[in-house]
Amino acid sequence: MADIDDGTSAPAEPLDLVRLCLDEIVFVKLRGDRELKGRLHAYDSHCNLVLGDVEETVYVVEEDEDEEEVVKTVHKKSEMMFVRGDSVVLISPQASP
Amino acid sequence: MSFFGFDHTLPRDRGHDTSAPGFSQAADPFSGARPTHYDDALDFEDTYDGLGDELDEGDDAFNDDTFGGRGEAAVTPGKQPVGKDFDFFGQTAKVAGAMNEEQLRFSRQQPISKVTSAQPSPSFAPPAAKPVKTGYERYKELGYVADMRVDADIWGTAPKRAPAQGSPGLPPPPAGRKMMSLEEVEAAIRAQTKKPAESEEPSQPPSQHQQQYPALVQQQQYQQNHHQQFQQFPPHPQQQHQQFHVQPLTEGPPTPHRQQRDRKQPGIAQQPVHILQRGPSVGPHGDKQTTVLQNSNRHPGIQELGGSRSHANSPGHRSHPSNGRQIITHPTQLADLSEEDRAKFLAEDAKRAKRNHKIFLMSKDNGLMTPQDKNFITRIQLQQLVTATGNPNEHGTGSGLSEDFYYQVHNQIRGGPRQNPGQPLSNFAQTYLYQTGGRHSGVRRQNRGGDNHLQRMEHQVQRAVEAAKNKPKNKQLVIEGSLGKISFSNAKTPKPLLNFKRTENDRKAPAVTGSDRKTVLADIEKVYSTLMEMEDHDRHNPPPLHNDVDPELVGRHMDWREKAEKLNAKLWQELKVHEPIGDTEIHPFIAYLSFSKGKKSIQRVFRHITHEQRTTILTMIVVHLDQLDVVRQAQLLTGENLLNASIRENVELFSLAVLPSLFTYLGDAPLDIVTGVLGLILSINVDIISRTRVGVSLLTMVLSRAELLKQGGEVDEQEWTQWSSTYNQFFNVLEPTLPSIFPGTVNTGEDIYVWQFLAAIGIGASPEQQQRLVMAVKDRVMETVTLAKTLPPAMSNQRLANVNLFMRSIGLDVELLA
Repeated sequence: MADIDDGTSAPAEPLDLVRLCLDEIVFVKLRGDRELKGRLHAYDSHCNLVLGDVEETVYVVEEDEDEEEVVKTVHKKSEMMFVRGDSVVLISPQASP
Repeated sequence: MSFFGFDHTLPRDRGHDTSAPGFSQAADPFSGARPTHYDDALDFEDTYDGLGDELDEGDDAFNDDTFGGRGEAAVTPGKQPVGKDFDFFGQTAKVAGAMNEEQLRFSRQQPISKVTSAQPSPSFAPPAAKPVKTGYERYKELGYVADMRVDADIWGTAPKRAPAQGSPGLPPPPAGRKMMSLEEVEAAIRAQTKKPAESEEPSQPPSQHQQQYPALVQQQQYQQNHHQQFQQFPPHPQQQHQQFHVQPLTEGPPTPHRQQRDRKQPGIAQQPVHILQRGPSVGPHGDKQTTVLQNSNRHPGIQELGGSRSHANSPGHRSHPSNGRQIITHPTQLADLSEEDRAKFLAEDAKRAKRNHKIFLMSKDNGLMTPQDKNFITRIQLQQLVTATGNPNEHGTGSGLSEDFYYQVHNQIRGGPRQNPGQPLSNFAQTYLYQTGGRHSGVRRQNRGGDNHLQRMEHQVQRAVEAAKNKPKNKQLVIEGSLGKISFSNAKTPKPLLNFKRTENDRKAPAVTGSDRKTVLADIEKVYSTLMEMEDHDRHNPPPLHNDVDPELVGRHMDWREKAEKLNAKLWQELKVHEPIGDTEIHPFIAYLSFSKGKKSIQRVFRHITHEQRTTILTMIVVHLDQLDVVRQAQLLTGENLLNASIRENVELFSLAVLPSLFTYLGDAPLDIVTGVLGLILSINVDIISRTRVGVSLLTMVLSRAELLKQGGEVDEQEWTQWSSTYNQFFNVLEPTLPSIFPGTVNTGEDIYVWQFLAAIGIGASPEQQQRLVMAVKDRVMETVTLAKTLPPAMSNQRLANVNLFMRSIGLDVELLA
């Protein structure tokens, strides 16, 4: 979506791009096969995030009766969520639907 | 040049010699010297091995042919042919000396030295071989040579006349070196010295002397002046004889000393002093063989003879006599000269001796290297030069590689230049390979001639120059297998550590583009940053001023205001409200408002901006009202009852965040501004605006403000008239849209803002307009009332209340309909 360098943000550092996503819907990938999509309310230099209206997706691998591995997704919704930065893999701006 | 010059001079000299007193004089001294020398001659015989007898005399006939009439003519006087040969030998010796000198110089300067020396030899190949040996042997005995010189000095006095006599006698021995034995030679010499010296001199000498002497003199002179002249010698027939002798001598390096002496001798022949010098060497023999002694040339001749017979013996013999004679002869010779001259001559002689000795020493190794060898070495040196000055690339890797056999082979197998920029390196490699190839085939090529080598050298020089040229061009070296480049720097072009392009447009571009998402987001963040600054700055507002003036406090206030103004200007700029309209599809500020956080910021912004700025913002919003996302996207298409959730959210947000600020502003706005706003709205698409909640809300606000102002009674008559006209226009424009201004169906129930709007219109409308208004929305009113009867009491009352807003504005009530 967004061009990474348009020169408008004076001191361009990665978190400045995250800042542009404030109050926007973002897609966050976490360790442990988890994904979040929600409105970014706050962040810090550790990538600790505060998200609102979050939809969390967890991918779980389970064995069914045939002992075949099946990936199941578990969805959770949270009105507000604090995400600790050490689990954040990526933050991506999400086009507002 | 010298050659031709030589030829020309020879004839003259001959003429001169014949008539010249010098020759005759030279002859005389010899005759006088005989007796003393005679004893020496005896010694000579004793030492003689008889090798001369063993020599091949078969060529004598040829010698005669070559020397022709001379030999015969010489015979009559005594043994003239011998004399000739002797003279010739001397001449050759002289020439040889010159040749040697040349060799030395050439060898130093050019590799071809040998070639030059060799050149003369080809014509007379056979004689050359033997004489060479003799010459070397003589030289080896340097000490003797030195003595010989001394002898020459002594001789100078006496010999002068001898040449005339000696010349006839001398020739035979050289020509017939092999043919004649020492005894024969001696006998001939004796006979000549005794007889010819007195009587025959005049007749024979001229012919022989002319040839020999002039030639010698000229040669010597020339040689001294120009060593190169030797080579020219050969051409002359008469001189050829001399050449024969010369050739052997030339080949034999040792001769130089003697030759040089000989050279001097020619000069001596003309000048008494020179003769004296030469004399001594000849002297010993001269005593016995007066004729021989006459010419310094004899020395070589004698030496050769001795050499051929017994190399070792001859020098020894000569040396002894020479020493003794020097002492003896000097007085007589010197007597003729003044003291100064004597000293001069002695000094000069010593100088020459020194120089000759040096040259001789240096000439030891002459000709060890063939020209090809020298070329080869030169090439190697060039190669090294290329390596040293060549490319930076070559420095690092090339120089090492060039000597790495395996690399070369590898390179050859791979067939070619390196993959990389190392152009010069490849050049170098090629050069190297070329050379290595040359070594193998070199032997063959060498035989072909020197051209090949010259070409090759030229080639290499070209490569060297090329490499030097290439050097600055290659600033980078990419080493095979490495991940990066190595760049070279020099003073002129320092190594660039950072390399990125900065275009002026890059910075301005975003401002122009303006509306792309990223830019807008960034703008919003800037605004927020500035807002936070300003809010922070507000908290640092100094305490209010008191009656008593406190300069410091006043100063703080001023500073505070100053900074507040700066921040305000900054914020204003970041809001981009003043960006020219129409430059972009969507005005930056409108784009700014399209983001929820942009909308949220408006309330905060309004707190920190001036009234004018607020007016401007309001104006901007109104002008672009139909472009606002909450207006553009909030159009309900036919059949749609509800807007998209996000749009609804946006609309809601806009209504909550932006409109209140505008309402607040409008709530204080005078009628002229309200009229202006309504006028602006007229210029845009009212239909679109009136079908959106935001647009309707704004219109309602404007109309309400006008009605409030009217009711307040503070309205200027003129302004009110203006407003009325504007309102009438607006109503006319709006009327067609009225039936469709209600969102969705009646059931949705979210139409309170519409009823409010209708109420606002109805209040300000004239009775006629109210009539039209009722007609337009009558259906909706009826539907709502009907619906309300089916709804629970609470909802029904609310619906009816909403409708009643409108109904009461026009003086009616829902109750009437029920």
